[in-house]
Amino acid sequence: MTIQFNELLPSRRILGLSIVLALASCTAGDGTGLDAGGRPILPGPPTNNDFQQIQDTIFTPICTACHTGANAPQGLRLDAGNSYGLLVNAPSAEVPALLRVNPGNPDASYLVQKIQGNAAVGARMPANGPPFLSQAQIDLVRGWIAAGAPQSAAPADQLIVISSIPAVSEQAAAGLGKLTIIFNGEVDSSLANTNAFALRDANDQLVTLAAVRVPAGRPNVVEISTPQPLAAGSYQLAVLGDGPAPLADQSGHVFDGDADGKPGGDKLIPFDVKTTAKEGSIR
Amino acid sequence: MMRLTNLRLAGALALVALAGAAQAEPYLAAQMGLKCVQCHVNPTGGGMRTVFGNTFAQTQLAAKRLGAEDDMWTGQVMKFLSVGGNARANYNFTDVPNQESSNDFAVEEARAYLDFGVIPNRLSVYIDQRFAPGNSTNLEANVRYWISENSVYVKAGRMYLPFGYRFEDDNAFVRQLSGINMQAPDEGVEIGFEKGSWSTQFAISNGTAGAPEVDNGKQLTGRTEYVGSAWRVGVSALANDTDAGDRLGAALFGAYRLGPVTLIGEIDHFDDDSIGIDGRKLLASLVEADWKVRQGHNLKLTYEWFEPDSDVDEDEQTRTSLLYEWSPIQFVQLRGGVRFYDGIPQSDLQNRTQAFLQLHGFF
Repeated sequence: MTIQFNELLPSRRILGLSIVLALASCTAGDGTGLDAGGRPILPGPPTNNDFQQIQDTIFTPICTACHTGANAPQGLRLDAGNSYGLLVNAPSAEVPALLRVNPGNPDASYLVQKIQGNAAVGARMPANGPPFLSQAQIDLVRGWIAAGAPQSAAPADQLIVISSIPAVSEQAAAGLGKLTIIFNGEVDSSLANTNAFALRDANDQLVTLAAVRVPAGRPNVVEISTPQPLAAGSYQLAVLGDGPAPLADQSGHVFDGDADGKPGGDKLIPFDVKTTAKEGSIR
Repeated sequence: MMRLTNLRLAGALALVALAGAAQAEPYLAAQMGLKCVQCHVNPTGGGMRTVFGNTFAQTQLAAKRLGAEDDMWTGQVMKFLSVGGNARANYNFTDVPNQESSNDFAVEEARAYLDFGVIPNRLSVYIDQRFAPGNSTNLEANVRYWISENSVYVKAGRMYLPFGYRFEDDNAFVRQLSGINMQAPDEGVEIGFEKGSWSTQFAISNGTAGAPEVDNGKQLTGRTEYVGSAWRVGVSALANDTDAGDRLGAALFGAYRLGPVTLIGEIDHFDDDSIGIDGRKLLASLVEADWKVRQGHNLKLTYEWFEPDSDVDEDEQTRTSLLYEWSPIQFVQLRGGVRFYDGIPQSDLQNRTQAFLQLHGFF
């Protein structure tokens, strides 16, 4: 028996309507067992404080001798506020195939290789060693990474900027074409777009932004790129906290730009871009 | 010259009469049983309209057409140059629980298109530039070459990638999940096949959503769709190899016309190892009903569902939208609607309500 395709039409109609009804029957979750970000509430202490201990006993007292400010080696700033965002899930500048910190995998983390002295490129850290880090210190770093490299013990209830590159009032090197903003929480990437930022030059003219993105695996970081390197001069970046769909974290906390404890307000980051030798020369 | 123009116009009108009609959004193409390439110079839809698309906008989309019969805008301002544009001015109202509601006037977008058809029907240089909001931003800049006229093309440069349906609403869950929308072009090469009832595209790109390339991995994106007169169905796939983890996605989409109502659906699934510690599996769906009340009037009801992590229960979100679109005269559309977000009660933002009125001008 031959069945003409059109004979299937009623079945196809029923099938189509069934699919529509099935899709329309999916509902929102009731949030049971979740935090405000929609993530499961873990039993016991939500995270450990290893990272803070690493910051206080290793990064800040030892590493920031070099790894701070605009001239930090490989752009890696290890001062409090910058370190987490530039380490976790961030590709290494020396070996881009490796992450500086690969959560859950200390052996595949370039940071560990550097402090252990088995990295493929460059010297063992700290560069002014010996002494190098003690085994207990290395184990602390390894343990933190093995535990998934959590950031802090408790989630914040406001989204604020904790650091930026360039930093407030910093003299950035010539050729700056990317701005990095580091937040205290995971940014809702759907809200991170060019409408959430305004870059103005010394004449108060808006500077075009080429792209705004939350890098993969680094949810507390927003990278802003310009179409071409910024010319020498003064600039001010505003991270906007007002508008119909302001920046927010993944828990729905709207960005608190003026850090007054309430959602809204702009965070202003003034900075300068240095002249190159060529630009500054007398012709 | 006048005779040539009239002949071209007559040809375009004849096409409209033969094919029914065509418009810019997926539901319009589904309503008419046409492919995207019928109305857009970009074979995957969106952006500049073809002569056919412009003619349709004047004769079929609008409730009423103003002007003389032979005073038809085609987009072709010179033999080798076509222009187009879109502008959307909004009044927005947003209500977030436990926060003071806000309202504002805003330019949602103002864009201009240029298409240099330096070898007619063969080679084009296409530019899509957004002038507002914010400063001027290039969204598309590519070279398109039809290897076989109207059937096989290759496109290189900055472009929107082919994945699922190209809905006008960039905030739709399916558009946000895929990361492929009108705000996030990518740079690469696309090859497309437009034969018979099939429309197929394949692209290789940086996979950085327009940002500078940061690793050696590339993104592969593909889409194929069977387009029938009353129904259509298609699939898409995406694979992005990044240092932060692999990202794999797939979509199933389709549409069905039931008299004056057109039903559209899309389901996207992503397995994204670049999120969180262990990666996540995400799912989003959209179902939309468009009722052509009468010419120039469309009522749109959309229901969306988003599962941000399939390993976590009770974290799903929904969005329900009711919109009315009225095109009183050619190239003008008044849109208004309300969107209800529903999510976990712990998050105010996931339970917001938005309403808007929009004046949309295009050509």
